[in-house]
Amino acid sequence: MALELLGEALKLTVLAGLVLAGILVTLIWKKDRATKVTYLRFLVQAASFVAVFYMFTYPVWQLIVLAVILIMPIVLGRFFCGWLCPFGFYMDAITLIRKAAKIRHRDLPEKLNVALHNLRYVLLVFFLSVPFVLMWITPLPSLQFIPVLAVVLAGPFTPLGILMGPVIPLIVPWKGPLEISGLYFSYPYVQEIISYANAFFAQGFAWIFVALTFVGSFFIRRVWCRFCPTGSSIAVVNRFKGFKWAPALHLDKDEEKCTKCGICKRVCPVQVTDVYEQKGGKIDTSICMLCLRCVEMCPYEGCLKLKLGGKTVFKSRNWLEPAEVD
Amino acid sequence: MSSQEKKYMPEISQKEVDELRNQVKTASQRIMAENIEKMKKTAKNRPKAMEYFDEVADLFGKRPKEIQAAKESGKKVIGYTCLFAPIEMILAADAIPVRVNSGWYDTSKLGDRVVPVEVCPVIRSTIGAKMIGLSPYLELSDVLISVLTCDGMTKLGEILSDYKPVWSMPIPRVKDSAQSLRFWREELVTMKGQIEALTGNKITGKKLKSAIEQTQKATKAFRRLQDLRKGNPVIMGRDAMLVNQTYMWDDITRWTEKTEALCEELEEKVRRKEWACSLDAPRVMVTGTPMIWPDNWKLPTLVEEGTPQGVLVADELCSGERLLYDPVGVDEWSMDDMLNAIGERYLMASTCPCFTSKDGNEDRINWMLNKVKEWNIQGVIYYVVRGCMSYAMEYTRIKKVLDKISMPVYYLDTEYTREDVGQMKTRVEAFLEMLTARIDL
Repeated sequence: MALELLGEALKLTVLAGLVLAGILVTLIWKKDRATKVTYLRFLVQAASFVAVFYMFTYPVWQLIVLAVILIMPIVLGRFFCGWLCPFGFYMDAITLIRKAAKIRHRDLPEKLNVALHNLRYVLLVFFLSVPFVLMWITPLPSLQFIPVLAVVLAGPFTPLGILMGPVIPLIVPWKGPLEISGLYFSYPYVQEIISYANAFFAQGFAWIFVALTFVGSFFIRRVWCRFCPTGSSIAVVNRFKGFKWAPALHLDKDEEKCTKCGICKRVCPVQVTDVYEQKGGKIDTSICMLCLRCVEMCPYEGCLKLKLGGKTVFKSRNWLEPAEVD
Repeated sequence: MSSQEKKYMPEISQKEVDELRNQVKTASQRIMAENIEKMKKTAKNRPKAMEYFDEVADLFGKRPKEIQAAKESGKKVIGYTCLFAPIEMILAADAIPVRVNSGWYDTSKLGDRVVPVEVCPVIRSTIGAKMIGLSPYLELSDVLISVLTCDGMTKLGEILSDYKPVWSMPIPRVKDSAQSLRFWREELVTMKGQIEALTGNKITGKKLKSAIEQTQKATKAFRRLQDLRKGNPVIMGRDAMLVNQTYMWDDITRWTEKTEALCEELEEKVRRKEWACSLDAPRVMVTGTPMIWPDNWKLPTLVEEGTPQGVLVADELCSGERLLYDPVGVDEWSMDDMLNAIGERYLMASTCPCFTSKDGNEDRINWMLNKVKEWNIQGVIYYVVRGCMSYAMEYTRIKKVLDKISMPVYYLDTEYTREDVGQMKTRVEAFLEMLTARIDL
């Protein structure tokens, strides 16, 4: 009884925190929407983390989340990845620990980064086809279409589950694969994999995942985002020439104001080089997740801009005013 | 060092040195006073905060004495010949950075005794200044950082090593490649070790961070001043240039404070609409060879005192805006990233013509186009001294680009001499007159 009460209190505290964070975000944005993007992003990420946690307490909301991740990127690019993804928040939090420890991050070689980026499509196709392959391997009793589809969609490797892997918050409201003193934790794709293993291996897998993601994102900023299949949808649209208009939210560069000082290239957590290399105009890249760190750090006024439907939402300042999150 | 055999420098008797030094020093003091007097006269509503900079500009005045006192208390002074020297590291090691390029016309004649007259006069003048021990900053520095940028700078370090220990810092000529950056970073690490060994102070992360913040603040103050020059002229170009140049030897924290104070005063003037000169004065930008206080002040003086009067609102000079325009942008305050940031600030952001890249020196063109638009420039003076090859050779390209946006460019070649002032006056005034005529159209 006491525990339940505590649980309810905890839930309410988290909700209150969410509301407060929302108010703070609005206030900061209203006061001077051109400062401290990194702080703002952290707040949004935290709020989104909690929001997603609550969404997953109601199964029907999962569909909404899925719709958001699938449809939003077509217009907003990978804004979701930079600002809302709970797993991204987790990796950024690990980055904070690393910064506090004054340990330097490692950069991936440029070629490897691009290769990983291309790998995400392969992963996407692979994971999406797994249910169908499994269905083919394990013959089903009746071959009517609807029940088959139900089996496909309900199995552990559901397309739905795959796309939402990284979106599922780390602390989940249901019985997650990992339990540490009463709290359930979830890691992307762990559930799917451990469904096929026995209990002993399941725990093992889960821990391996935890260790890999922790160590990986400790040394390499946003390591998962380099190949995460969830981030593909925008990229897919961006690949085709006829759809270049689609991303309404994108970065834009003023060639004349750029001195090629290289700051944008160095501060990018997913090592986008296009912002530095492109001469000017709309930045065409599907790796960028619009975290706006480059716009925040660019010391030339109006050189880098975030444009939403042709209108400038946010641009680089005359002076670098980095949010020092250490 | 004097007991060693000199590689380049001629042997001069101490008596001759003293005589020459006194002669040039007296002349120089007169010229400095004259220049400041002229600046005071031309500028209507000259800001009071300029008094501080007039004082610091005195090369034989208070500031050298201050450095001397600091030196006696155990501080080291590190001179540098080119702005690529990592000032942040020098500051972090609790040493004093001073730039030692010379602007004296007279000493360039002494430099002729060492190198042929075809050599860039900035180099010759610096050699001459060292020969007679004229420049207090050059004399006070314990060591010189010589960055091997243009040909002149490369050999200058070698020649000056007759007198002082010189640390050479080779710089890659193509800046936008990964290996250049790696190379330059290695150079910085070596330099860090050398500075630590000289000063006996370890450059820790904390110290480097505060040094970077110090220069960042200076850049911020400088940018504020630059922004003020975008509108109607509230400060004369020469005054702004003087502020800019005193950064080369002044105490950076104090300089920042004084510049902020100056900006405040100027902002007040903007509110009260007190302009420094007639609003019809054509807005001119200078680019090319560095112009160094005190003697090489003739072009700005001619522009701002000519009939019709012009006003300098922007420049692309390594003795001017380029000293301070680019900040060190640090992502994470770890030693590693701070070094990367310092490396990129000096190498990548630079628009020096000693570089080339896939597109040529595109950055310089972009810088100029941006300046022309943002600062409403009406004419560009491309200033080159004899022997300054890199700047002279880039003229054709710059001219082509500026022609496209129908921006008048005037190529002005000269020497470190006062003898051609009259002739230059005619040339500059003709250009300014053309600019005013363009306004009438």
